[in-house]
Amino acid sequence: MIACPSCGADLGVRGTALPYSTCGYCQSLVVHGAAGPEDLGKVASLPFDVSPLQLGTRFRVDGIDFLTLGRVRWHWQDGAWNEWLLEAADGTHCWLGEAMGLFMLTAERPDLAQDPMIARFAVGVEIKLGQAMQVDGHLLRAADIRRAQCVGSEGHLPFPTLPGTKLTNVDFRSPDGLILSVQRVGGEVTAWFGTIYEFADLNPRNARAIDGWTLPAYMQ
Amino acid sequence: MNGDAAKREAASGARSVACPACGGRIVARATGYAVTLGCAHCGSALDATRPEVELIARHKRAVAKFPLALGKRGYLFDQYWDVIGALKRKDALDIWNEYLLFNPYVGYRWLVEYKGDWQFGTMVLDVPEADADGIVWRGERFTSAGPDQQVTATCVIGEFYWRIKAGDQVRCVSFERGDVSLSCEVTDEEVNWTQLVPIAAREVQTAFAIDGRKMPGRRFAQQAHAATGAADDLLAMFAVAGIGAFLALVVMLLLAGPVSRTVGSVNAPYGKTREGVLIGTLEIKRDWQLVSLKAQGQDFDNRWVDIDYSLVDRRTGQAIGGYGLAERYSGVDSDGSWVEGSRGAETLLGHVPRGTYDLYVDAEAHAWPIDATLNPDGSVSMPPDGSQLSTWAQPDAITMTIVAETGALPSGNWWTVLVLLLAWPMAILWWRHEND
Repeated sequence: MIACPSCGADLGVRGTALPYSTCGYCQSLVVHGAAGPEDLGKVASLPFDVSPLQLGTRFRVDGIDFLTLGRVRWHWQDGAWNEWLLEAADGTHCWLGEAMGLFMLTAERPDLAQDPMIARFAVGVEIKLGQAMQVDGHLLRAADIRRAQCVGSEGHLPFPTLPGTKLTNVDFRSPDGLILSVQRVGGEVTAWFGTIYEFADLNPRNARAIDGWTLPAYMQ
Repeated sequence: MNGDAAKREAASGARSVACPACGGRIVARATGYAVTLGCAHCGSALDATRPEVELIARHKRAVAKFPLALGKRGYLFDQYWDVIGALKRKDALDIWNEYLLFNPYVGYRWLVEYKGDWQFGTMVLDVPEADADGIVWRGERFTSAGPDQQVTATCVIGEFYWRIKAGDQVRCVSFERGDVSLSCEVTDEEVNWTQLVPIAAREVQTAFAIDGRKMPGRRFAQQAHAATGAADDLLAMFAVAGIGAFLALVVMLLLAGPVSRTVGSVNAPYGKTREGVLIGTLEIKRDWQLVSLKAQGQDFDNRWVDIDYSLVDRRTGQAIGGYGLAERYSGVDSDGSWVEGSRGAETLLGHVPRGTYDLYVDAEAHAWPIDATLNPDGSVSMPPDGSQLSTWAQPDAITMTIVAETGALPSGNWWTVLVLLLAWPMAILWWRHEND
């Protein structure tokens, strides 16, 4: 068990190489450094939403098992969305973006960060709507550009989520439901490639119970 | 709202806010997803992305009424769905209703109601491929269902996961294969595809327990069987269409039969129902006839009147029911003055069997916004701000004149038949002209 340095509460199961945890009791953001856990300050508590996910929700997609370890919620001018951090059985991490009742499961593609457009984006040259990217033979176009601010987090995450953390997210989409998310947090740019799903298609287990609704048996 | 209700709402994922424009209570159910809230009381568009909702566009007009109410839960296609949003949309030809359904474990779906026909819509993530002959989706060819249309939202209530308000426009084009259609909507920012499958009106009505009187009626739309024959003989097709239309008129006149008429009136009080007012007696002298019921009021504004008709058979005591709604609203906004609705309402009862009937009506008048202030003693105060809405200036009831008539001729149906009969030969004529 790892205890919160601020309140002593259990910080829960920590995934591989996830340096930041949000204490579910006192909302402290904790960094796991060489000298042990250190309190970085408070993050905002997450506003209630009707997401069917919770920390601990499991998925099975294309034969791979995933466990939900963390969440960060981003707010932009036209709304807010959740990014859930999933850890695959082999220890790699994926993001599960949740917006409009749909789910975007993406895995990191470090090779794409070498793309000239993405490299320029890393130094502040913005991507324009409609710009094209070729990924694994699929043509994707920039369909959605959002400048967002972190409005809260829970669980374990790869980056700090103190209030005011800024994200620029560019979603490229293909006509057949593929998605490339290019994310700039601080000066770090990462590229994430994957597919859009409906919740049930992810074969969820231990989904969250929402009062007023019956949790389908196959999601329990 | 009392404390217990607040707790229940918080637990069920719903939250409620007061409309900044009219003060009415708005319940949001897809908490965290909702971007736009359209006030169900006054139609104002609100920004739901902030903790305190902000007004985007203020409206003072009463919102249109939808047969399927916000907040209703129904079971369709093996899932429960909450109705969380409702839209009226129109193109150059028609106006129809669309409902946004939500289940947190499944996501969003659509119910589209077009003249009594219903479709269930699912957003398509694997976009069809287009070619010169139409589109191909999941290996199947869909053909164009007509030229693209500019579609305008005329009324927006409830919650939506994107920014939308009354007046917003999209280009829309549809493709069909059998009874499945694929609809494509294009805005400056996005292209969205939706798969629509038919669903029986009865199934929707049962699923959401919709009062049968509020279900939109199906348009009498007979296919032009006569015109499906000799496609090459255009002249004969026109002749068949003409003869068909004439025969339809003769048949309608024969079916309409002798005329029996009665006239009366009813005072519809505000906020309570006047029940069982006898209007008069009708004789049906054929095996069955159509009965037309017309209600007409005078000089009311920002009011609506619900009228329930009961045609009671003197011999059996059995009643045939009908429902009429006269509503009229007006006001002034940034676009100038506007008027919506009509002080009259016409209801048609089909297939009334032979007999002598007494016509009774129940009537109730409503002021808008409804239940704006419900006093602790149970009485209703009109809103203080609307000068037209002052209790002092208004009589306490709206008088509706009711005219009931047998032998009514559904002339609208005849025109529909004529158009359908002529559609094929006209289309061929046009096609030949284009290809000359």
